Amino acid sequence: MSALLEVRNLTKRFSSGGGLFRKARSMHAVNNVSFDLPKGRIIGVVGESGCGKSTLARLILRLIEPSGGEVRFSGEDLLAKRPAEMRCLRARMQMVFQDPYSAIDPRYTIARAVSEPFTVQGIKPDGIMSNTVAQLLEMVGLNPGLSTSYPHQLSGGQKQRVGIARALALRPTLLVLDEPTASLDVSVQAQIITLLEELRGEFGLTYLFISHDLGLVKYFCDEILVMYLGRIVEFLPATGAAARHPYTQTLMDSTFEPDPKRRRTIEPLLGEVPSPFDLPPGCAFAERCPHATSICRVEMPILLADGEHRTACHNPI
Amino acid sequence: MNVFTIRDRWMNALARSSIRRAFSSGIGMVSGGFLIILVLTAIFAPWITPFDYAAQNLANSNAPPGWPHLLGTDEFGRDVLSRVIYGARTSLSVSATAIAISVSVGMTLGAAAGYFGGAFERMVMTVVDLTWSFPDILIALIFVAILGPGLTSTTFAIAIAYLAQFTRLTRAQIVRLKQETFIEATINLGARPAHILLRHLLPNAVAPVIVAGMLAIGDGIILEATLGFFGLGAQPPTPSWGAMMSSGSAQLFLSPWILIFPGVAVAVTVIAINLFGDELIRALDIRDRMREA
Amino acid sequence: MSILEVRDLGVAFGPIHPLSGVNFSIKKGETLGIVGESGSGKSLTAMSIMGLLPLFGGRITSGSINFDGQDLTKLTDRAWRKLRGGRIGLITQNPMTSLNPLQKIGPQVDEVAILHLGMSRAQARTRTVEILGTLRIPEPEATCNRYPHQMSGGMKQRIVIAMALAAKPDALIADEPTTALDVTVQAQIIRLLDDLVKKRDLALVLITHDMSVIAQTCDKVVVMYAGRAIEQGPVATIFESPHHPYTQALIGCIPHGLAENERLNRIKGTVPTVMNYPKGCPFHPRCPRAATICSTTQPQFASVGESSAACHFVIGDAS
Repeated sequence: MSALLEVRNLTKRFSSGGGLFRKARSMHAVNNVSFDLPKGRIIGVVGESGCGKSTLARLILRLIEPSGGEVRFSGEDLLAKRPAEMRCLRARMQMVFQDPYSAIDPRYTIARAVSEPFTVQGIKPDGIMSNTVAQLLEMVGLNPGLSTSYPHQLSGGQKQRVGIARALALRPTLLVLDEPTASLDVSVQAQIITLLEELRGEFGLTYLFISHDLGLVKYFCDEILVMYLGRIVEFLPATGAAARHPYTQTLMDSTFEPDPKRRRTIEPLLGEVPSPFDLPPGCAFAERCPHATSICRVEMPILLADGEHRTACHNPI
Repeated sequence: MNVFTIRDRWMNALARSSIRRAFSSGIGMVSGGFLIILVLTAIFAPWITPFDYAAQNLANSNAPPGWPHLLGTDEFGRDVLSRVIYGARTSLSVSATAIAISVSVGMTLGAAAGYFGGAFERMVMTVVDLTWSFPDILIALIFVAILGPGLTSTTFAIAIAYLAQFTRLTRAQIVRLKQETFIEATINLGARPAHILLRHLLPNAVAPVIVAGMLAIGDGIILEATLGFFGLGAQPPTPSWGAMMSSGSAQLFLSPWILIFPGVAVAVTVIAINLFGDELIRALDIRDRMREA
Repeated sequence: MSILEVRDLGVAFGPIHPLSGVNFSIKKGETLGIVGESGSGKSLTAMSIMGLLPLFGGRITSGSINFDGQDLTKLTDRAWRKLRGGRIGLITQNPMTSLNPLQKIGPQVDEVAILHLGMSRAQARTRTVEILGTLRIPEPEATCNRYPHQMSGGMKQRIVIAMALAAKPDALIADEPTTALDVTVQAQIIRLLDDLVKKRDLALVLITHDMSVIAQTCDKVVVMYAGRAIEQGPVATIFESPHHPYTQALIGCIPHGLAENERLNRIKGTVPTVMNYPKGCPFHPRCPRAATICSTTQPQFASVGESSAACHFVIGDAS
């Protein structure tokens, strides 16, 4: 049985500049990414700014056109779909966005925003629309009375719940979540994460969870992809797995715990993240890596599997 | 179109309260009030004017302001007040019609250019910028040369002269809005471009364009008056503030009121439009969006 | 001997009182964490200590801020300017707005030493290069000739810290210094601040919403909610045996370091806005232990063991 989502060698190249006297520079926001997302599982994609995780989310949903590679959703090749087919398919794969403040049209009432999926897809709900809207709002823990309010009257957490309600209106199978709690207080984050857990159980959803917070990803997800400068550097098959890639180890060391007895020793990290336009040959992490050897600066490590665990490193821990 | 869209349009609290806010300041009240009175006067002109604007009475020509001619008479004995009121009708209707055409065409072009981008955008903007590079009067003269003097030429001239402004403004709004997350979210729902343009992009882009249109009506009035001054606008006997000022300038030392009152009318109208437009910008909080491109 | 002591601080903006009843003290060589979610008043506390409230239309209505014997609430503008950036340094959240984008980095840091220490341009430059080196900014001399936009976020924040250090401060106020930074960069900055506190015997007031950062780096903690301090004490006590229901609930909301089958805690309801702080205890509408008295009477701070909490039904209260 194939996975719900199969990504193979997905790549996105951006070029910038380039004029009469200057050659255009190009960079790979996402470089040769491959993974499978089985139905009903939650995979977390973790990395820092510039690692390409947000671009990856958009490539998978084909909100941005890839430069290369393949995305198969439920066995269907997404990149071969024509625009009209793609629009139809979108009902089954939805996204929850990072910024709840701009994810809803400020001129739409909540009711209109939550019912828009039906309007757009030309699907009639079972029963009257207002009942369906009320049900959706209750499903995400909101008072149905909010349906006549405008987004600016709601708090960040409430807006994000509306975003989730809208995403789930047409009962998709895949939900891509792009840092859905990054701009929320920690207590609100807890509410949203718990809601997502409940909804997953209730509707058998599959999640692709993008975040910069490794601790949150370890809590919420089943498997973890670690990205650095557009590439996957490690795939952890279980959240308790130990890090093998030095970058993953650095991330773990930098993720503090709310326990003063378990303070981390922070090793100084040398150097800066290289510019994606100007990548050195070999491993992109080599100049900052405490374990780097001469081969690291010359040859790009490939993602090698050791059982389920995959690492792209010449000197794994 | 579902139940919620109808309800929302009816209850668009955001827009209604902004207009209320614009009227709430002192300047807003006075300028807005003046404009409302002006428009009503222009609409009900036939019932308000004390005299027929074309009725000549050579026996009473160049009469100073007094009774019964509150603003005096011109060189043909026609009542200046009635002519000024009918002049308002001419100016407002020509300018408003022209700007309405200009805004419609400009918004369509600008929205298409902004949404589709690429070579299409470049082509549209180049053509539109060409119109911008011509001085208004020159455009007007070209139309007069082709269509002859009169209100039709004036209307087209005003429409073309301001087309670039609305196209650029709309395109800038569309380009800005395309980056918003909710547009990405709507695409993600599987929306067609028409849905995105008509239901999300245009409604959010409209506010600065409408206000710019309002302000442009003021400019249009000035352009109409300018053309009228040279006899190229409204043709006699249709009263035009510009034409009145033109003939009035010949009588400046004998009967200054023939020049002054239409001149004051133009000035006060345009000032009121600009002041109220400013208040509207402040109330809608779109000062930053009023900048083109 | 505390270098900074805040007693019963109250702040108002017009008719609104977003902050009241804040008490804490800090010694040199100590790190005090002020933690709270949005709207808790923690940034306002920082602004008050730095005398920046009038800039935003606020004023101190009650209490005192005692810095090395001086009551800061009674300072004149002139005295404030001498103190601010001098003996008390401020590090803000967004290094992009703290640095002048049109001016090179060197002169911006030099200015601090020139203004506060009366150094000459040359002397100040030597000092700048020295500080940038201590903060592990590569090629300090070359950096002085660069513009802020040429530096990364983490580097910019180090430069802001350099500016705060240039005038040999006794205390540093860091208002969410790492919130806008990547996680690995944050760790580096936190380590840097730790080193500075120890090596230079500074008093560091660290304001953040992140309890994990507090656990990693602070000695004492003040927990704030809806404009009031509701619990404070040594960091070990706060985390091991929190006495206020909010503190306990908040720690339970954090997804880090949970065991395999532990679930996240949830606090029902939302944080109140400044416009509608509840009467009595600000947390009572969301508190699982609330009773009638909580909605009518403000709880006073009372010591419980090594920490103190403002709650009518403190957790772990033997009496």
